[in-house]
Amino acid sequence: MAATATAARTGETNIGGDRLKEALIGYAFIAVPMLVYGVLFLYPIVYAIYISRYDWGVFGKLDERGWGNYSELVDDDRFRIAIKNGLKFTVAFTILSMALGLFVAVVVNNAIRWRGFFRSAFYFPAISGSAAITAIALYILSADGLFNRLTGLDHAWFGESDTALWAIVGLNSWTTSGTVMLFYLAYLQAIPTDVYEAAAIDGAGAWRTFWKVTFPLLKPGHFFVSTLLVIGGLKMFDQAFIASGGTGGPNNSTLVPVLYLYRVAFSDVRFGSAAAVGLTLMLLMFALTLIQRLTFGRGDRA
Amino acid sequence: MADDVRTEKDFAPAADAPLVPPSPPGMEELARAGEAAAGTVTGIPGRTRAERVRTVVVYALLFGIALLYFVPFLWTATTSLKTLPETAYFRLLPEHPTLDAYRNVFTEFDFARYAGNSVALATVVTLLNVFLCSLGGYAFARLNFPGREVLFMVVLATLMVPDQLRFVPIFVKFTDWGLMGHYHAYVLVKLAAAAQLFLMRQYFLTIPKDLEEAAKLDGAGYFKTFRKVMLPLAGPAIAAVAILEFEGVWNDFFWPLVIFTSEPSHFTLPVGIFQFRSEYISQWPELMAGTVIAIAPIAALYIFFQRYFVAGVASAGVKG
Repeated sequence: MAATATAARTGETNIGGDRLKEALIGYAFIAVPMLVYGVLFLYPIVYAIYISRYDWGVFGKLDERGWGNYSELVDDDRFRIAIKNGLKFTVAFTILSMALGLFVAVVVNNAIRWRGFFRSAFYFPAISGSAAITAIALYILSADGLFNRLTGLDHAWFGESDTALWAIVGLNSWTTSGTVMLFYLAYLQAIPTDVYEAAAIDGAGAWRTFWKVTFPLLKPGHFFVSTLLVIGGLKMFDQAFIASGGTGGPNNSTLVPVLYLYRVAFSDVRFGSAAAVGLTLMLLMFALTLIQRLTFGRGDRA
Repeated sequence: MADDVRTEKDFAPAADAPLVPPSPPGMEELARAGEAAAGTVTGIPGRTRAERVRTVVVYALLFGIALLYFVPFLWTATTSLKTLPETAYFRLLPEHPTLDAYRNVFTEFDFARYAGNSVALATVVTLLNVFLCSLGGYAFARLNFPGREVLFMVVLATLMVPDQLRFVPIFVKFTDWGLMGHYHAYVLVKLAAAAQLFLMRQYFLTIPKDLEEAAKLDGAGYFKTFRKVMLPLAGPAIAAVAILEFEGVWNDFFWPLVIFTSEPSHFTLPVGIFQFRSEYISQWPELMAGTVIAIAPIAALYIFFQRYFVAGVASAGVKG
């Protein structure tokens, strides 16, 4: 009964017309997103290149500068400081987040009660907004804040140029470690249990098993997580902006690349230079990802 | 026809675009890790001495980690119930708990307005994106049209464009177009998030084709098939997209800062917190009250919809 109905219907329909109709409907369904991507992603890249070749102020285009906005970056002390801070932050943040996240993942991966609860609980800082989290850190790391009282140390952590960037490293590693934990948990669950059994038969203790078996087997996880963190670290902005009140201080110690970019655009009102900085940073991020991929990524994943 | 079917791998960023990070463990893998973690409590403590020691060590570490992760939030919450003089004492709980700080941020400072802006923007962006991304995701997963693969590569390519590159040209153009400082400028920047469209497409690919073919044979049009058959089946993916978008907009600091700088009445909570922090640096109870207001709604959502937040982590891989 149903079969004959099917046959009748397909017999009647005009295949060519159906195809056309399906195509038109397909375009209609994706029209708004594609328009948005065109106007707000592709066009801005081209337009950024255009802007970057001019002196560009509040009222728009001034003089054409060729590649001057790029070449002047080489001699720009603040740009150099920003890159240095960015790299310092990214390296420390990546290592600390991975260490903390992996540590928590390994603990939570044990046969414990309320494992799901702990897993969810430790992820919580990661979903709290950057502004709220930074406000909490400002309070806890202030001169008479909780951290100093508990540790007996005496620093205004965000107020001193020696400690401010490290305070942000600590803050971001704390929040990001929850995300890192979730990724490592997924990779840990993928390790077959018989390798642990083999290690146990060989008489390896927990410490040795971790370093000789678990850690090397997590290599794809290390690669994936570090790639995300390096890019995330280079893009860090909110915490440095909020902690320093938008200045990158004290003494430029929290002036990270994106904050520098923001200041060139909105404090100096030099949009041409800002666009050049943005493009340079994007190329830098792509290059780093590529290098990372070539050095660690080969053969790990199809 | 069979050759035409694209597997996930064909479009996975890792396979095609060398500059996108490798694909993360899938949503299912993460979910499975969660189920496994939640369900199985094996090893009843105390079988052997070594195991007992191990159990004690593990619980001690857990306790330490829990302190590290929660004391800051606890301290924040209790500080918001103190008076300013009381914050000078090193005491967790306030002696005379008071809601003064909350009253102050709502009446003297503009936090009611900021909260309203946050709710409105997060809701509008979430609804629009659930609609646009599910429709677009469905088209990319199920409909055949010339140029589909190329257009989908465009979607993936947008994931690689950092906002830090976009904001200068967008700021210049939006200023030209007179959009700066308007709510709809923000909505426009957040519209049709590519990561969510990608997530929806991946989900639609996993739904068997039989059902929609049956609907088509019954004479349902494409939109009707989408709305009556596919959308109800995509519940989990829609929930994940909705949660992700709401959380993303609610917590977003960068774009509201760029777009509403000149328009304080449009500030969202994160920008409001920054503003307050800049002007009244040591009004700790008020600052912490503002922080609690900014975190509490997300915390409430998290308690009820945890697994969709976790699904969001899986898509962080494509977010870059």
